Amino acid sequence: MTGWMGKIVKIDLGNRKQETVAVSDATRRQYLGGRGLGVKLYSDLCSSGTDPFADDNALIFMTGPLTGTVMTSGRYQVVSRSPLTGTICDSSSGGHFGAALKGAGIDGLIIEGRAATPVYLSVHDGEVEVRDASAFWGLDTQQTQKGIQAETSSKTSVACIGPAGENRIIFAAIMNDKDRAAGRGGMGAIMGGKNLKAIAAGGSRPVAISDPEGYKALTARLERIIDKNPVTGKSLQVLGTSVLVNIINAHGMFPTENFRRGVFNDAEGTSGEKIAETLLERQSACYKCPIGCGRTTRTRDKQGEGPEYETVWAFGAHLGISDLTAITEANYACNELGLDTITMGSTLGCAMELSETGAWKENLRWGEAGKLLDWVTDTAYRRGIGAELALGSKRLAAKYGRPELAMQVKGMEIPAYDPRGAQGMALSYATSNRGGCHMRAYMIAPEILGHPVFLDRFSTVGKAELVALFQDVSAVVDSAVLCRFLQFAVGISTFTEMLRTVTGLDFSDEELMKIGRRIYTLERQFNNRAGFGRGDDTLPPRFFNEEFQTGSSRHRQVLLEEMLDDYYAVRGWDRNGVPLPQTLADLGL
Amino acid sequence: MAGTIAVKFYGLLRRRLRTAVVEIAGDELTILALLRLAEKETGQSFLDELLDRDQGLLTGTIILVNGENIRLRQDLQTRVKAGDSVALFSPAGGG
Repeated sequence: MTGWMGKIVKIDLGNRKQETVAVSDATRRQYLGGRGLGVKLYSDLCSSGTDPFADDNALIFMTGPLTGTVMTSGRYQVVSRSPLTGTICDSSSGGHFGAALKGAGIDGLIIEGRAATPVYLSVHDGEVEVRDASAFWGLDTQQTQKGIQAETSSKTSVACIGPAGENRIIFAAIMNDKDRAAGRGGMGAIMGGKNLKAIAAGGSRPVAISDPEGYKALTARLERIIDKNPVTGKSLQVLGTSVLVNIINAHGMFPTENFRRGVFNDAEGTSGEKIAETLLERQSACYKCPIGCGRTTRTRDKQGEGPEYETVWAFGAHLGISDLTAITEANYACNELGLDTITMGSTLGCAMELSETGAWKENLRWGEAGKLLDWVTDTAYRRGIGAELALGSKRLAAKYGRPELAMQVKGMEIPAYDPRGAQGMALSYATSNRGGCHMRAYMIAPEILGHPVFLDRFSTVGKAELVALFQDVSAVVDSAVLCRFLQFAVGISTFTEMLRTVTGLDFSDEELMKIGRRIYTLERQFNNRAGFGRGDDTLPPRFFNEEFQTGSSRHRQVLLEEMLDDYYAVRGWDRNGVPLPQTLADLGL
Repeated sequence: MAGTIAVKFYGLLRRRLRTAVVEIAGDELTILALLRLAEKETGQSFLDELLDRDQGLLTGTIILVNGENIRLRQDLQTRVKAGDSVALFSPAGGG
C-alpha cells in the first residue's frame, strides 16, 4: 500500500535485539497510523496493569500514512501508558521529526527494555542503530540536539529528553526540532526510565503516492483554502495561539489563580497582541506548514520559542503573574529542561493555593514572578521544593490533605479554559481518555470561536453528540497524522480525500468516522481494564459547587451528570462507561 | 464615560485600525448602527470585513456586549445602551 513505508521496528534496549513487526493491511486500514495504530500495537503488547517504568513497558513512536506528504505532515505521536495518569496516552509533537523518521524508512518504532547505560537511537535507511549517549546525559534538550547533530548530520532531526526526563519527572516532555514538544502525559519520563536520551532520524526516502496527479491538484487547492481562511491564513500567522488570551478572558473563563476566578485583570499585558508588539522576532513553521503559528521570541537576555496560549496562561493568569518576560523565560526553561508547561504551571497554582490555605507550609505566593525560574528548574532536578512539585498537582494536593485543590482529570491537569464557561468543553475534559486535555474534543471552537458553527456555550443540549463526534474526528487526524489546526479550514471530507489520494484506498467519510470511533473505544477499553470508569469521568468539585461572582461566566456551574448519560448512550457504552458488546462487535474490537 | 458606549477592538482588527478602544456617544443603538458610528470615529471602514455576502456576521467573528455574544441575542440588530461595553474580535483560533 502507498502512504505507509511498510516497516515498524521493535527494539529491546536491554539486549539490543531488533525485529520488524508485521502489521496487516487490514489493521492499517482499521487504525491508520500515529495515535490509532500506536494504541493498537501498545494494547497488543502490554497489559493495562503495566508499570510505565517497567522494562517490559513499550514506548511507541509513530508516524501515519500522511506523514511526509501534504502540508503540516511533519508531526509524530508517542504512545504508552502515562506515568502521570495511568491511562493510555498519546502525546503529539510538530516540527520535522515525523517526516524525518518516515524519510529514514520506517513508519514507527517500538521501544522496550532498559539500556544499561545511556543510549540514543539513530534511524537511517530503514535501520536502527543503538549508540552511546553517555556524553549527552545531563545536557539540556538544546545542547543534546546540537551534540547529536554534530555526531550524525546537521540535517538529522532529533527528539530527545532533558534533565526532567532523565530524572523521570512524570510530566517530562520529549523535545524535537529545537522547541517542539510532545508535552503531555510524561512520555519523556518513560524515555528517561529506559536510559534513552534521544532518537535521531534522517533520510530522504520518498513516500509513495497512489495518485500523483490528484495529489498535486489537492495540495494546490488546500494551499488556497488555508491561505483564504481567516484563522489559518491570518490570525495564527500574525498573532499565534495567544490571540486567545483576550478572547477567553472576555468570556470570563480565563482560569485565574488556580481556577478561582475567570477574569484576569492583567490579561491584556500577556496577550498575543502584546507578544506581537514586544517579544516577537518572527513566526516559525513546522514541516511543509503554510500557517506558521510558532513564535520565535526574545527577551532582554534570552531567545527561544513561545510562549503559546496554554503556557502564557499556565505561568501567567493561573499564578497571578503578569510579567510577560518571566512567563516567557519560564517557557524557555521548560523547553530546555524538557517539561510540560501546562502541568508545571498548574501544579504551581495548586501549590500556591495549598500554601495560602496553610495546608502546605511552604511560602509560594500568587504573583511571585521572581521565583518562577527557580521553581521550574528545581522541579526538573527534584531539588528542594522542586521534589514536591515534581509530584504533579494530583499527588501534591493529596499529600497535603486537600485533593480537591488539584485542577485535574484522571491526574492530568486541565488547560486554559474554565469548564464553567463552556459545558461542552466540560464534558470533553471529563471524558477525555488521557485526562484533563483540550485536544481530544476542542469544543472551544464551536462554543466560543464559532467554528464551524456557533453554539450556546452554557447549554448542554446536543453537546454529548458533538463531543463524541469531535473526539472521533480528532482521533482520525491524530492517526493520519496531521496538525489539528487544519480543522479550522477543512472538514472530514478533505481528510478522506487526502487519505484516498495518498493511499489509494477507497476511504469514505463514514469509514473514517468509524475508524475514529474504533480508536476512541479501544482507548476506553484499555482505561476500563486499568480501573477507570464513570467515577473518573468527572471534574474537580470546584466546578460543581463554586461560582464566579464576576465576569460573563458568573453564577455558572458545570452540569455534567445530565450530559454524561447522553454521552455514554451516543457512544454505545453502558451507564458505567463500559462499551457494550454490540458496540465492540460493530467496531471489530 | 457617561452617555457613551465603549467599542473595543482585538486581534487583527486592532492591529489594522491601530486602535484599541473608541467611545461612541449614544444610547439605544443597534450594533450595526454603533459600528457605523465607530467607523466614523476611527476614520476607517471595517464593517464590511465582519460581514458575509448576506450581510450576516462572518463565521468566526465574535462580538460581545458586556461579555455576551450577540449571536445569542439579535445579532447585528442587538440593541445596546449608554454604559455598555462592546468587544469585537476578528476570527481567531488556537489550542
